[in-house]
Amino acid sequence: MKFVNLLKKELSELVNLQMILSLIVAFGIFMLLGNIMDTTIDEAKEETTNVTIRLSDRDDTGYTKKLIGGIEASGNTVKLYETSGDDYAAILSDNDIKDMIIIPEGFTEDIKSGKKPKVLSVSRMTSAATMSNLNVGNTSGLDLIEDYIKSDLAVNKGLTDAEYLLFDEPLSVVENTVVDDKSAAVSPSSIMSKIAIQNAMLPIIVFMLIMMTSQMLMSAIANEKTDKTLETLLSTPVSRGSVIGAKMLAAAVIALINAGVYMLGFTMFVSGATDDISSAAESVIGEMVSVDEAIKQLGLSLSGFDYVLVGLQLFFTIMICLSVSLVLGALVNDTKNNQTMVMPIMLMAIIPYAISILADINSLPPVLRCIVYAIPFTHTFSAIPNLMFGNRAIFFAGLIYQMIVFAVCMFFALRLFMSDRIFTIRLNFGQKSKYKAKQRREAKK
Amino acid sequence: MANVLEVKELTKQYSKVLAADKVSFTVGEGEIFALIGPNGAGKTTTIRMISTLLTPTAGDAIIAGHSVVKEPAKVRECITYLPDEAGAYKNMTGLKYLRFMAGLFISDIDALNAAVDRAKEICGLGERLEDKIGSYSRGMIRKLLLARAVMTRPKLAILDEPTSGLDVLNAIEIRKMIKKLAEEEKMSFLLSSHNMLEIEFVSDRVGIITGGHLMVTGGAAELKERYGANNLEEVFERVVNENEIR
Repeated sequence: MKFVNLLKKELSELVNLQMILSLIVAFGIFMLLGNIMDTTIDEAKEETTNVTIRLSDRDDTGYTKKLIGGIEASGNTVKLYETSGDDYAAILSDNDIKDMIIIPEGFTEDIKSGKKPKVLSVSRMTSAATMSNLNVGNTSGLDLIEDYIKSDLAVNKGLTDAEYLLFDEPLSVVENTVVDDKSAAVSPSSIMSKIAIQNAMLPIIVFMLIMMTSQMLMSAIANEKTDKTLETLLSTPVSRGSVIGAKMLAAAVIALINAGVYMLGFTMFVSGATDDISSAAESVIGEMVSVDEAIKQLGLSLSGFDYVLVGLQLFFTIMICLSVSLVLGALVNDTKNNQTMVMPIMLMAIIPYAISILADINSLPPVLRCIVYAIPFTHTFSAIPNLMFGNRAIFFAGLIYQMIVFAVCMFFALRLFMSDRIFTIRLNFGQKSKYKAKQRREAKK
Repeated sequence: MANVLEVKELTKQYSKVLAADKVSFTVGEGEIFALIGPNGAGKTTTIRMISTLLTPTAGDAIIAGHSVVKEPAKVRECITYLPDEAGAYKNMTGLKYLRFMAGLFISDIDALNAAVDRAKEICGLGERLEDKIGSYSRGMIRKLLLARAVMTRPKLAILDEPTSGLDVLNAIEIRKMIKKLAEEEKMSFLLSSHNMLEIEFVSDRVGIITGGHLMVTGGAAELKERYGANNLEEVFERVVNENEIR
């Protein structure tokens, strides 16, 4: 009953209008980003599947007319524009288009005289965003012009169609990806593009979870200490274990709610993108098997038990975070100090987070790998890759290591809270002499 | 008069500082005992040991028959503690705070409601109890905390600087409240204060502590006579100076 009372109080301290609003805003942002991503990818797909080539034929010869007719005959849409001069910005603006291929005067003559002909490709760049600068029209148009000229030259040189095709594409590559002892007829890049977006989710959620949990618990303890409500609370007929337990549970519950909302939002943001991109990639690359099927064949898909293991590791990550935050929160002198005290946890989270994005931790040099794995949160960031690629020994070693770290941190946190030091311990960076003098005065008082 | 509190040679040694050295005194039922002393004299350390927040290095304190060393949980059921310059949870309303604190002492819902009603009456904050504590003035917070400290009718209420930071009118009101509770409800109080006028007005007996030693105890009138002083301030000055000469 008393514990429930304490828990309700901790929850009511943490759940406030600000927190609810920030959750709604975060969810809204993910939804908005999801929609933007969806629209952009749809536009890109539309542009890839229905290519319109914008051409200006300044040479205007029988050869160029045949060339344009050939492009149209292969099922492409060609829009012709009358242009002159070299003010390309004005040409694009006047015609309200973002790209154009210009066949200059002398193009046919160059081909006939055996010279390399020139074509001009004009594209408007509107931003640094990748998606906004997709220029399928010009790329496809130039490929088609090149193909037409190559084929025309081949015919003139007396090559048959079969000889020309062999000349044009002398290799037929069948890509295979091997993971451990399993293989699938799929390119590694297709697998990577699928799992990279999926696996990007967990590190972000873990990172946010670690930061939010620690910040919440540290603030809760620091505020209690600075307002002296902790003294009042610990002099009531409740055990110190209940006080700590209620604080830890409330912080964990709120962090999980936050993580759930962020995860849901992020899933909505990512799922549309991955489905669209992978289906588009499959159709373009023409893989032997679908990417999803290949992931299963290679043993890269996680089982229900694997997800339970990931959840277990996430649980111990939060528990380590909470126990360390208990100690750090107790060291805080004032609320300003609170932001500095979160630094150790932030570093412990950001180092493995950054490494897990940039490199495979298991392929780091041994000494560096040991240092990185000594950070308890590293095991959470590497959990899914380790389970996916069959590094189960490393996963379980990490899980056991996290349990030990949690037991040690909790032992020290409980010792601190059960002892007098909870009222006397504090850190004061750069004010050692003043701090010691104050501590002596307080101790005497 | 039965003793509610018996402090027996209570000692606290920090790594290099002896904060309290064999402090002994008693507080009877319905008695107001004030612990006074200069800054760093050991008042708060002594009070924190009695409140079970700090563990004594030696000695003991018995509250309503329970030892702070052996039965701290039982002791916490008999006492309430109001720290110096304490705050309250700013996001809670005054009423919610009272209910929360009462819930830590009382499980029975009727008894809990009765305690909250009592606190509402004592603090006199009326409708402001529906507002968040963050909007309260310092005086209002102190009244709320004092009401909280006495609403459960503890055997011993420990109040560290009960009127610190309050204006004259609020301070007078709180002193009267303490005196009334001791006289009418036989509640015992252990106070600490720097305000000699307050101590003289409110307390039945006084203990002067300096350098971790409890130098003298007695009624205000008795001490004034013993030291040939006109007021408690003079007594205090002489006791502290004597200790420094030693």
